Amino acid sequence: MSLELENITVAVPDGRSVLTILDTVDLHVGQGETVALTGPSGSGKSTLLAVAGLLLRPDQGTVRVAGVDASALGDRARTRLRGRSIGIVYQSANLLPSLTAREQVEVVAHVNGRLDSTTGARARELLVRVGLEDRLGARPGALSGGERQRVALARALMMEPDVLLADEPTASLDPVRGAEVMALLLEEARRLGAATLLVTHDGEQAAGADREVRLRLGHVAPAVA
Amino acid sequence: MYVALRDLRAARGRFALVGLVIALVALMTTLLSGLAAGLVDDGISGLRRLPLTHLALEPDSGGTFSRSTLTATNLEPWQHVEGVEASPIGVSFVNAKGPDGQTVSLALFGVAENSFLAPRPDARQALAGGPGLVLSHELAAQGLHVGDELTVAGSETRLPVLGFTYTGSYGHVDIAFTQLATWQQVFYGGEAHGRFSAVALRTTGGSDQVTSALARANRAAGTETLTKTEAYAGSPGYVGETQTMNLIRGFLLVISALVVGSFFTVWTVQRTRQIALLKALGASTSYVLRDALGQMAVVLVVATSVGAGLAGLGGLAIQGSDVPFRLQLVPVLGAVALLVVLGLGGCLVAVRRITRVDPAGALRLVD
Repeated sequence: MSLELENITVAVPDGRSVLTILDTVDLHVGQGETVALTGPSGSGKSTLLAVAGLLLRPDQGTVRVAGVDASALGDRARTRLRGRSIGIVYQSANLLPSLTAREQVEVVAHVNGRLDSTTGARARELLVRVGLEDRLGARPGALSGGERQRVALARALMMEPDVLLADEPTASLDPVRGAEVMALLLEEARRLGAATLLVTHDGEQAAGADREVRLRLGHVAPAVA
Repeated sequence: MYVALRDLRAARGRFALVGLVIALVALMTTLLSGLAAGLVDDGISGLRRLPLTHLALEPDSGGTFSRSTLTATNLEPWQHVEGVEASPIGVSFVNAKGPDGQTVSLALFGVAENSFLAPRPDARQALAGGPGLVLSHELAAQGLHVGDELTVAGSETRLPVLGFTYTGSYGHVDIAFTQLATWQQVFYGGEAHGRFSAVALRTTGGSDQVTSALARANRAAGTETLTKTEAYAGSPGYVGETQTMNLIRGFLLVISALVVGSFFTVWTVQRTRQIALLKALGASTSYVLRDALGQMAVVLVVATSVGAGLAGLGGLAIQGSDVPFRLQLVPVLGAVALLVVLGLGGCLVAVRRITRVDPAGALRLVD
């Protein structure tokens, strides 16, 4: 299952004119492939990630997630597709403050109508995989930055997504913790065979991906060898 | 309510505070309901317990007995209406002196001894004898006994206490029954000329038949007919008291709705990013709405139930004292339900915000 972005254009009003953030961008991430999306600030990386995550409708272009053309779907169907097929790891963990680590993962199954007798065990298994077996009952306030990001990664994996998106997931962590989290992310993405799009400024992280795509001023820059 | 219940658990201090405010409003609303019911009871229970369905009074008297004077000419047409039982009644307020010199205020109901208006068989029997009074049971608690003589101020008529009947009052004054002739003697002296206050009516049969029969008899008798409920408005102070109580209750309900609405609006604003995240995780707008409304409903129902329950306990403690207080289950439940509904109504602004939260906001989150 892959992620296909074709001819994506996003423009926003800018005073009396219009600012084009993404201009006819094409991007294809194959099943099990990890693509690092790099580029300077303002190049449109996060916007492209939002389009890929069905969080933003492009003004033009087609988004296919796991073979489903999301451009033709209504809001409700896009939400359902996002919940069941796309996992997102944000720059900061974005955990819900009232939920324990285990509940942060379980809630994904709940909001997507997939809560069953195995949910608790699956959430626990994922948290064990990211090394948090001793922190299952801890709330975000009691977790370190690295632990929070691991919880966020487990949450993104809960629905076994076809597409995994990560928006600078280690930006708020120190280099050691960042490297640990990134290694985990890439390992889990490969295990799942997910099409993974990783936004990063870090050259080392980009090098760990199968391929790097550079954005510059809303365009895909020529391929880097 | 997966997230909502966990929010309630995690932010229990915050929810306890708003719950306390709602509980206090519910407590006051319930107490006011009890006071309103007590005041109404104090104002019209004597009339409410009379076994009549309608009253025919002098036109434009507005249900006020003191403004209505009828005679046998007005009564006569009513006595031939099929399906309607009619009996004259005289109502006036008097002061009387008891055997120990104590002053007793009475709402004096003059009724024909053998009419359907005479209360209970024992009282009817008592009224069938010589002139005297059958008093509200409340007056027995004030130290009056059967055989005591009361001297009615103004007429100086001396009337023995013949017995006691159900507790009732009219215009916040305890009721006393006497024979119609005695009432006329007390009120008009020797110049009664058969006058009384109103014709009490007890109807049977279908409503259409009764309505047309009442209209015909009204025209013939030159009277104005009110239902028993409409006649409550004639009790002194009744309209003002009920309107004041309803106004205060209305204010409380509005204040409660505003407090609840404000709290949940602020709460929703604070949760905007969480809501965006839930939507980004795949939650539909209806899921988030159900979650939020469920949370609001839990807070409202628990807090109002606690408040109403405490008011009920307080009410039980003061019931029977001099404070006119009467707890009735249906009005209390109605007030509690109204508090919950209006509280949820107050949350509409919050609900509107929830529907508008953009899941893309999740990308801009910072813990």
